[in-house]
Amino acid sequence: MEGSANSDAPGTGRSATDNAARLARLLHRDCTRLLELYSERESFPSPHVPGGDRLVSLGPCPEPPTPGQQVGHVRSALRRCMELLECLIQREVEEMGEELAGEYESLRKAVRDRLGHLVHSTGALLGDEEGGCPPPPQIQCDEGQDEVEGSGSFAVKLWTYRVLLELIHWTESASHTLHVFHTETQQQQQQQIL
Amino acid sequence: MQGWVILALLLSLGVLRSRGQNGLSELAVPHSLTLQPDLPAQTLSLTWQSDSSLFDIEIFHTELMNVVLNETVAVTAGPVTGQRGWTWRSPSPLECTSHSVQIRARNQQSVSQWSPLQTIPGSDIPEKSESYMYPQDKVVPVGSNMTFCCIVKEKYNFKEIMYKGQTMSATRLSRRAYAITVTNQPASDNTGTNVVCCSPMFTLTGAVVFVGYPPGDEGLVCETRDLASAECSWKKGRDTHLRRKINRTNYTLNGRDCLEANEGKTWLCSSKVWEENWTLVARNPLGTVRLTDSAQLADRVHLLAPANVTAVEVEAWNATLNWSWPVAAYKKLEMICQLKLIGHELSSTRNYSGTGLSSVMLEDLWPDVDYTVTVRCGSKHAFWKWGDESAPYSIHTKMDRPDALDVWLWMDSSNTGRVFWKPLSERESHGALVGYKVSQSSAEEDMWTPVSLPPERLNYPIILNNSSDITVAVAAQNPAGLSQPSAVTTPAYRADSQLSVSELLGTHGTFELSWQPNANASRGYVVEWVPTGCRGLCPVNWEKVPESDRSFTVKPDSLEGGVRYTVSVYVLSAGAASLLQRWQGYSQEMIPAQSVVELSVNQTGSDVLLSWKASAMEHQRGFIRGYTIYLANAARLDLVANISDPEVRSYRVKGLPLSSYKFIVKAYTSAGEDMGLTVAIKMEIETAEMLFVGILVPLAAMFCCLILISICCYKKREWVKKAFYPEIPGPKVPGDWSSPPGPLDVKPSPHSLVHIVESPEWDFSKKGLVPVPEEEEEFENDNIEVDTDSDEPALLRYYNHVVGDGSHSNHVSDSSGSSTASVGSTQTEVTYTGIQSPSSSQGVCDGGGYRPQMQSAADPAEPQGEFEADFQDDSLNTGYKPQCSWQLDSPEAENLSGSLGSPTSVTSSQFLLPESSEEKPQSSNTWFHSFLSGKS
Repeated sequence: MEGSANSDAPGTGRSATDNAARLARLLHRDCTRLLELYSERESFPSPHVPGGDRLVSLGPCPEPPTPGQQVGHVRSALRRCMELLECLIQREVEEMGEELAGEYESLRKAVRDRLGHLVHSTGALLGDEEGGCPPPPQIQCDEGQDEVEGSGSFAVKLWTYRVLLELIHWTESASHTLHVFHTETQQQQQQQIL
Repeated sequence: MQGWVILALLLSLGVLRSRGQNGLSELAVPHSLTLQPDLPAQTLSLTWQSDSSLFDIEIFHTELMNVVLNETVAVTAGPVTGQRGWTWRSPSPLECTSHSVQIRARNQQSVSQWSPLQTIPGSDIPEKSESYMYPQDKVVPVGSNMTFCCIVKEKYNFKEIMYKGQTMSATRLSRRAYAITVTNQPASDNTGTNVVCCSPMFTLTGAVVFVGYPPGDEGLVCETRDLASAECSWKKGRDTHLRRKINRTNYTLNGRDCLEANEGKTWLCSSKVWEENWTLVARNPLGTVRLTDSAQLADRVHLLAPANVTAVEVEAWNATLNWSWPVAAYKKLEMICQLKLIGHELSSTRNYSGTGLSSVMLEDLWPDVDYTVTVRCGSKHAFWKWGDESAPYSIHTKMDRPDALDVWLWMDSSNTGRVFWKPLSERESHGALVGYKVSQSSAEEDMWTPVSLPPERLNYPIILNNSSDITVAVAAQNPAGLSQPSAVTTPAYRADSQLSVSELLGTHGTFELSWQPNANASRGYVVEWVPTGCRGLCPVNWEKVPESDRSFTVKPDSLEGGVRYTVSVYVLSAGAASLLQRWQGYSQEMIPAQSVVELSVNQTGSDVLLSWKASAMEHQRGFIRGYTIYLANAARLDLVANISDPEVRSYRVKGLPLSSYKFIVKAYTSAGEDMGLTVAIKMEIETAEMLFVGILVPLAAMFCCLILISICCYKKREWVKKAFYPEIPGPKVPGDWSSPPGPLDVKPSPHSLVHIVESPEWDFSKKGLVPVPEEEEEFENDNIEVDTDSDEPALLRYYNHVVGDGSHSNHVSDSSGSSTASVGSTQTEVTYTGIQSPSSSQGVCDGGGYRPQMQSAADPAEPQGEFEADFQDDSLNTGYKPQCSWQLDSPEAENLSGSLGSPTSVTSSQFLLPESSEEKPQSSNTWFHSFLSGKS
């Protein structure tokens, strides 16, 4: 983790951690907008949210994690979110085909691409160390049906809604964690220079 | 005991009787009732065994025991099983809540007992504790009605059910089940219509309903492109609104799946072989459509586009075009081909036919033109439709020599002229022109002298050195060669002044000309029109007219409104053209661009003469029909005159009073009048007249008036005198009252000076005589001679000074005025100098002593009587006694008693003492009185 942080050479413009934090912020805004578009399309009542547990949850850490470990932790959640988003896109394309090409569909693709980039860039920050917290279980698309109540189209829509909520939650978490990580890294570098 | 047995028998008999009356004893209860639900169809099938054929059926919502059906039905038994069956369609999904059914047999009024309740459980039973909504993913047609129900999760509260974002009114079916009914549903959006069941906090569950239309495809047509296979197409009907893959319309052609169409991208289905009869089935969850077509292959040939279109030989006027066919079978097909030629301002369509046509010659092309060619073909026999069009192919034809020029020679004087020729159009030049060759020869010199001119030149000047005619020939040249030369001989020049030029009126911007035929017009006529008065390089237009024509219309595109044209008709013969007729006119008259010029105005007495000149011809823009003269008056114009003769260029406006005028003169044509030219004039009296009228006349009039008044007054002087100045007798005073010249200084005796006693009864600030201190008096009366050497006691002087009220005004006093006015009107500075009182110094009337004239106006009547009494007393005393309240003022007055009481005397400004001084000023009243009296 620290080794990757060394790649943030001062004076070379934005560092990798800064870029990742910025990307996480951008992604958070994209995901929020994506949920808005989805709610508009489906005429979902805005004050109502689907009940149920989180789709992506992390196991308890044995000891308080360092910022680097937290980044690894968030990255694991983002990878699960990425898998959920892939499932979501696959289901929607299977059901509706690729005829629909509105703002929702284009933003959905942009979120997928940026999320992949964020997962990759945080992986580059961490190196081989994933952190001390156990990663969340991997998600299979077929298992997604178990997460929703019933098996009708509405259940899929509700599940889609929850996936988008997960994306918002974890991108926000990533934005915060990466910001903290970036701040600490900078402080360490300044101390080394001094 | 026996009693009890008897009672039991009686009771049992009563029961039997009652049963017999209700018929229950006769009908058997239906048995073996079974329920078979069809959940997607929302139907419940009942089967039972019974000998009866009429049954009462009751269905309840089990939990709340609400009756949802109570109906009597006639049911026949099945031929094989003997079972009776009946199906009920539930308005709400059967899963919404548990349903219970009971049945009984009926025979008219007799009924059996109800069968035991049979129940099908709903999803709201305690064993199913989650939330549910029904029906799920149903596909229904637009406009249908549906009931949705929500089963709330155990321990959760129900809040609402929303359909497409709208809260609907829900009814309760059971403890956990609620239902809504939606009527006349609209078409769904792309992903269906959502029905959401909410608790106060969460979205509990929901369902999606897909509302759409059955397939609406139509117009199946099959054709062949390769003379072997089939390609069927149809028109997609209205949007089904069913976008999900599983709900989309599925197509089959003659039982085979149409893969292309089922992808939803095209409405086309292919078959490798031609089958003559075709059936397309379009199906979606809401309905099915069958489309059929039947045809022979030869009748449905739709050729592909020709390939490799090329021009193998291109000339100036024709070209040969070749192409190939992508299908070998076309070579044996009798076909018709259509070539579309699109050139610059040229477009044509040409048809060619032949077997397996692949080459045609294009004729009647134009030289040096770019053409774009496309080819399409169709089967000649049983023509079905044009095949696909080939890709455009471009051809550029070769150049050719230009056409002959249209030449005219215009003479602007007897020995100068200019040869003009019209530019050749693209179709006439047959290639870009490189220039012109102009040759001229005279009759005397039989040789041509050629001149080369650039292509932009369209005229060439001609000068006749002698009287002989000149023939000019002009030819156009392009890279392909020279055109045929066009020759023209100089026509004889005729100035307008030598001819009778007619006036020509345009019609809708054109000139319509007609003329008498001329026998010499062997080559026809030339109509020439030029702006009148133009010299040198003028826009000369001409048109050649066949000899058979007698009329010609000059089109408006070569004419300009408001420009005068000279239009000439020439006769064309073997020699020079000769003038036949000439006009001048405007194709369209306009209001003059410039008004009259040199507008002047001259005054002659009370008349005004306006004169002007016409503007230049190029500014007239129409034949001047006259002039209008306006008088500008504030914001409006008053028409003074309308001169309809354009040759009259002056006008006299008569009888104008002395003032300033602004005249506007406007010229007008048939189109109207111009803005006008303004001239202003200020009318003045001429010098002699001004002297006479302005000075002499008023003087003479005044003089006459004075003479008349004088004569009149003289004639009537007696009457005037009586009326205005009656004779006032003077007081007769004994003794000599003559006074020395100069101001009257009466030296009072040292012991009888008049003392001014400041008494509260006298208000010196008001009207009356004011005592003046010595210093002020001296200052104000410098001119008054004062005996300063006298050693007499100081004199007390009085001015009859009225304080305030403008008493110093020098106006003629009114004799009928009050005494105050008389005091105030006093011109003479009356000086009481040393008035000696004969008695005491107390100047009181009663005492007979002197009292200054004052306050007489306050009460003029009151002192009169007193005065008379006093005067009588004074008469007795035979001595002077100064007047008390008011005094006589007439210098003529000698008899005081006669003037007493006369107001006229009050107005007098005479010194109070009678004629004592020669130097006393003579008032105007006195002079007038003397005048009227005839005294000098």
